[in-house]
Amino acid sequence: MRCYLVHTNLLLSVPVRYWQDFQDTLARATNANIYIFDANGAPFSRFSLPAELCQEVNKGGKLHNEKCIDFYKLACGSLEEKDMLTCPYGLKLCAYRLGSHAQRIGYLMVAPSRHTTLVEREEEIAFITKAHNIYRTINEVFSAILEKNLLGLRRLELNSIYEISRLMTSIVELDRVLELITNSLIIIYQADLCFVGLREGDKIKVAQGKGVNGSQLIGKEWPLVHPLIERIFSKVEPSSLSIEELKVLPGFTGTEAAPGTEIMVYPLWTALGIVGLLGIAAPVSLGDSGSKNLQIYINFAAVALANATLIRRLEREAETDYLTGFLNRRVLRDVLAAELQRAARYGYHMSVIFMDIDDFKAYNDTFGHLAGDVVLQKTAELIKNSIRTTDIACRYGGEEFIIILPGTKGGDAAKVAERIRKSIETYPFPHRRITASLGVAQAKKNDSVDSLLARADQACYQAKERGKNHLCLDPS
Amino acid sequence: MSEIIEKRIGHYETLLREMWTASSKYLGTFSMNLLVERVVWEVSLEYKEIELLQYDQNGISCAKMAARLEENPDLPVEDMFMKFITRYVEILARLLGHERAEEIRKRLDEEFAGDLSASRGE
Repeated sequence: MRCYLVHTNLLLSVPVRYWQDFQDTLARATNANIYIFDANGAPFSRFSLPAELCQEVNKGGKLHNEKCIDFYKLACGSLEEKDMLTCPYGLKLCAYRLGSHAQRIGYLMVAPSRHTTLVEREEEIAFITKAHNIYRTINEVFSAILEKNLLGLRRLELNSIYEISRLMTSIVELDRVLELITNSLIIIYQADLCFVGLREGDKIKVAQGKGVNGSQLIGKEWPLVHPLIERIFSKVEPSSLSIEELKVLPGFTGTEAAPGTEIMVYPLWTALGIVGLLGIAAPVSLGDSGSKNLQIYINFAAVALANATLIRRLEREAETDYLTGFLNRRVLRDVLAAELQRAARYGYHMSVIFMDIDDFKAYNDTFGHLAGDVVLQKTAELIKNSIRTTDIACRYGGEEFIIILPGTKGGDAAKVAERIRKSIETYPFPHRRITASLGVAQAKKNDSVDSLLARADQACYQAKERGKNHLCLDPS
Repeated sequence: MSEIIEKRIGHYETLLREMWTASSKYLGTFSMNLLVERVVWEVSLEYKEIELLQYDQNGISCAKMAARLEENPDLPVEDMFMKFITRYVEILARLLGHERAEEIRKRLDEEFAGDLSASRGE
């Protein structure tokens, strides 16, 4: 699907009906006709005075005539600063560009109130002087409105930055920080698109995208050695990119940007190095002040993302057993409690397998801890290969494992346990054969984490009692 | 204040509250506040009275605006609210995606027949 970044000039917001009153009064006072186009060359106001010819051609002061529309479009598009033009019906008019060199607001047309070709030189000079005075008045009024609008926007930006900086330093969940950053930028800058990519090893992975087709960017990966990504991270400042340049990255192939759209990609640096990048496509240029405010915001965002990423990494590491990659005992209770609750709510079965490697202490003592670690790692791999992706494996203690099987009856869990037992028994471990004892228990109504684990443990104990390398199903 | 205006303000207040409830479910209170602040600022460039809209984490209220209308019954309330709603839905569509924003719009449209369709057509 193709997407299009929409262009609108939001920096200058002028209520047309109030403006028309002002323009008409000025036109009556100066006895000249006034007409204004916006920055895109589209009509903004109506003719102020009922110019005979225009009334006839355009009906009520609004542009209807194709010839007129084409003429004004062309005139606005090619106007440098000011010019003297003649319309297709022979009306002479003075045309001016409104706004500063840096920011074009729109165009002003001033025409004599009556149909004249301004043949007399003196008459022409008088008209040009009058038109120039009108231009100066209107341009100053527009500039004042623009400045007031911008001040309002800056106040909004600063208030938001203040609030967000407070929040971002207190929020530690990565997803919430990402949501907050992208939401805020879309709202404050009316961005068409905003995305955040996080560094994952040697690549950048898009973690959040909002706006036009933003969600389709999520999950896309860009290698750090990609020439464009390299270019972005080769400096501390943001890169201003064209949509054509972005199209070389996966996820942007079908994207189009309207003329005037500013696409900025900010590298997110902290003391820890590259955290990621943030991209924003705004419909208008932010200007110097806006860019600085945005840069302050981005710096906060980088620190917040770095904090949240670090905390997520620490949490993950705290939850996972480093040797086997399985969940550790600390989180087992939470996971098992959640699964028990879900099974009770939706009324499905659930079972657990308690597994203990037989005579593991002797193996460790005889062949060393390094050899023991290899056994644990390989056993974990054999377990992983024997269960479904929906089953949850956990390293419970030294050589003890717990496997949670949601949606599984005790009998079916025993089949899984037997599969695991056999695969361990037949695997050619170094030094000597390894076996395991397993106990299986199906969750009962009102079972707690402790009661369920106790029954599975008891079944495992019975398997040991039977001479090890056995499995027992809890009979209750 | 005429009964009709009072009724209209009440009508819009209910509409805004519904919008607030529906969108805050997805956006959270902070983003909601920021969104309303942004739209209020933008509409205030034309209608200063929109700044009388009260909003915080508990919701949105038009009480102050209703009071101002007693002093100035000529205030073009319809136009002001329609501009507010149009801009609000436009930004919401960028934040939630067009599909979800459209879902919210449709649900509101069913309850406040016509208002949002009119605003969309602007």
